[in-house]
Amino acid sequence: MKSIKELNDKKIPIVRIDNSLEKYLKMPIFQDKVDKANEALRTIGLPKITTK
Amino acid sequence: MKLPHYELIAEKTLRVYEFTSEGPKGQIPKLIKFSETALKGYYNLAFGDKNLKTGNIDDKVVSNNGDSEQVLATVVSAVYMFTETHSDVWVYATGSTKARTRLYRMGITKYIDEVKNDFYVFGQLEGEWEEFQKDIDYNAFVVRRK
Repeated sequence: MKSIKELNDKKIPIVRIDNSLEKYLKMPIFQDKVDKANEALRTIGLPKITTK
Repeated sequence: MKLPHYELIAEKTLRVYEFTSEGPKGQIPKLIKFSETALKGYYNLAFGDKNLKTGNIDDKVVSNNGDSEQVLATVVSAVYMFTETHSDVWVYATGSTKARTRLYRMGITKYIDEVKNDFYVFGQLEGEWEEFQKDIDYNAFVVRRK
């Protein structure tokens, strides 16, 4: 189990789970943004990561 | 980067988050969603205000609650959580308006020296991706955890 210091250093927030938010998984919210993301993927693809 | 941010709640797959903005306009619930796209492992990040009466989400409203930095810090913390629990994903984001995209760009610029320790950060300019640089008017952004 990670220590508190390790958790803090990882910058991960503490999140409370609320399953009432599950309904938004299937809702078509922000669809115009998803369409933009798909368009960017289709036209320019993903960036290339170069390791130095 | 230990910035003040709002408390997050999420559903168990950690793709949808909610938090409450607090300021002069009162309490405004906001929703963040990482949506799957046509490519597995490539997600769109978006967030907006939740209408308590209808349950609808609006990403074009300007709520002006005086806490834009804290709101952005909260969204960034959700990105950390999402990418910690979903390996090797790309997260794409753009604003619903040019002004919002510029706000996101300014937020990334402010913290890029720290964020780039944890993420590869790219900006989209003239139909191409490039490594994020300060003071360039990008149209969109994509990040991947290192």
